[in-house]
Amino acid sequence: MSGRILVVEDDERIRSSMRLALEGEGYEVNDAASGEEGLDLFASAPSDVALIDLMLPGMDGFECCRALRRQSAVPIIIVTARADTHDVVAGLEAGADDYVTKPFVAKELAARIRALLRRARPPEEEDPSALSFGTLQLLPEQGVLRHADGTEVHCTRTEFRLLCELAASPNKVLSREQLLDRVWGYDYFGDGRLVDVHIRRLRTKVEVDPALPQHILTVRGMGYKLVP
Amino acid sequence: MTRLGIAARITAIFGLGALLLSFSMGGLSYFTTRHFLLAERESAAQHQAFANANVVRSSIESGNTQYADTLASLDAGSDSHSVLIHDATPYSASLSLSLSSIPRQLRTEVRQGSAATETYRTSPQGQPQIVVGVPIPSVHAAYFEVFSLSDLNHTLRVLGLTLVGAGAITTLLGTALGRFASERSLRPLAGVSRAAVSIAGGQLGTRLVSEAADPDLEGLTTSFNAMVDQLQERIEREARFNSDVSHELRSPLTTLSASLEVLEADRDNLPARAQRALQLLGDDLRRFQRMVGDLLEMSRADAGSADVFLEEVLVSELVQRSVANGVRSLGDGVVAPAVVVEPETQLLHVGVDKRRFERVMANLLENAAHYGGGATTITVRRLVQSDDVEITVDDAGPGISPVERTKVFQRFYRGSASGRRGTGTGSGLGLALVAEHVRLMDGRSWVEESPAGGARFVVALPILPSEEDPL
Repeated sequence: MSGRILVVEDDERIRSSMRLALEGEGYEVNDAASGEEGLDLFASAPSDVALIDLMLPGMDGFECCRALRRQSAVPIIIVTARADTHDVVAGLEAGADDYVTKPFVAKELAARIRALLRRARPPEEEDPSALSFGTLQLLPEQGVLRHADGTEVHCTRTEFRLLCELAASPNKVLSREQLLDRVWGYDYFGDGRLVDVHIRRLRTKVEVDPALPQHILTVRGMGYKLVP
Repeated sequence: MTRLGIAARITAIFGLGALLLSFSMGGLSYFTTRHFLLAERESAAQHQAFANANVVRSSIESGNTQYADTLASLDAGSDSHSVLIHDATPYSASLSLSLSSIPRQLRTEVRQGSAATETYRTSPQGQPQIVVGVPIPSVHAAYFEVFSLSDLNHTLRVLGLTLVGAGAITTLLGTALGRFASERSLRPLAGVSRAAVSIAGGQLGTRLVSEAADPDLEGLTTSFNAMVDQLQERIEREARFNSDVSHELRSPLTTLSASLEVLEADRDNLPARAQRALQLLGDDLRRFQRMVGDLLEMSRADAGSADVFLEEVLVSELVQRSVANGVRSLGDGVVAPAVVVEPETQLLHVGVDKRRFERVMANLLENAAHYGGGATTITVRRLVQSDDVEITVDDAGPGISPVERTKVFQRFYRGSASGRRGTGTGSGLGLALVAEHVRLMDGRSWVEESPAGGARFVVALPILPSEEDPL
């Protein structure tokens, strides 16, 4: 599988080694030493996945994430030094799809990139046909979520896939593990925070009042379900 | 002997103060009143006695010898009784009254010719009385009049009881006031205590609110808040330092591991000696990575800055997945242990940080692999009536002697297994981190002897009440 990857990392040696490792996995790599440079580079040569270090001089990783997210639905992986901090949640809330912890294993990183790229491809057959809930219409085949009046709701690939998975079995509870497995794409026993933050982001787009969700419901101790 | 608390002491001081004050005031009023009433009675008695003595004298002078009748007429309409001694013979209208009820000293004084009053003596009959003696020298007689004071006594007793009652009530009120005052003045201390508890619990943003700008508390509030400011700054500086260190150490490690993977992808093209060197480099780089990761994890737990992300999960699923992942990370050639989930634990939920729990299982499996000949059985069980679910990891090794059972959880402890250090790839922090991770998830961990003879590591986690629980 090939694709172009934007690497935003201020440490020159890490940048070079990542370039070597990712090129070894068959990807084309664009690298930038700062958030500003990364955004410029993305504007001139869009990439398929962006890897953003959270600790950057000047514009930090979170801001870079948000800026990138404002102009594109490109999958973003944040790179953080600590897995147990609020950094991960803050990064996901800034719009990231996934995260890796330094020092990461290049193979693991490559696996996550592959999963994200797979998510970016057209959806598979078991997807639900068009589904309406509230004032919204989900059209999985076209990759579109829109209001009844036709205005489109912008969401990232990951958010869209998550919504499709929930919509594929309406009223049925899906556990975090099942969602991680199906959306993040590989046996990923780990971080429920990925699901939680994405659910939160989805609610701000789908629910009238995200604090009192009517469609994407939490089932305590079990997971989430979609109620049309 | 335990010292009384400040509240109890303030209350006691108020109570004692009220007691002293009310009883001294009461005592003073009682004795003043008593003195005044007695003096009044005494002067009235003297007046009456002198007047009556005159009547008796006139009667004797007029030759009347029916002394008892005269005395009876004097006694009528009065609560006093008269005694006349004429020519050494006592006369009285009352049968109950005899010479003995008149004090001897008084009689002597009257015989010597002076009018005297004896007050408030208890008579032989036990009644308080005033006795007034008047000599009547012209007829060689002495007149005595005995006044009963039982009504005055009754009044004084009522007054005394009233004052004692008032004193007791005042004391109680004083004690209550003391209690209120001590609670009131200690209330800011309770606030300080609450704030300190909250700060100790990690709420570093907690500050004391200066209560309505009370000038007496201003100093305490200011210095307390200044202390917490400093504390917070130090803790945050430490957390920042940790974060910086982690970033600084991890950056070169990231470069090293990414570059190493590039070399490993090309390993077949390298000469044999270089391949062997690459192997050593790779093994120790991974060990170094583990060590840095474990050290940082430990320092965060020590600094209290570890974030715990608790999720509610099915314990059976959790253990099965963690064991599978732990076995996979041990590499090829490792026999997966049997996982036994006892039926009654099948539906139990626990609150865990999955990343931490996975590390716990991975470390226990690795420990078993290095020192116990590999894990044989993982069991999920619940002891009868226990609030915890226990996850046990048995190995096939020689077991751990009782003296070493707490030591194995110490950092860098290698104990009797230290001879095998050469092959160990652990950081020396594996079991210490097991204990830390479990503690952060409100659980307990220990090691005991497995029935098969090896070591049995136990992780006990509190069971969450579950909505799906059939009970």
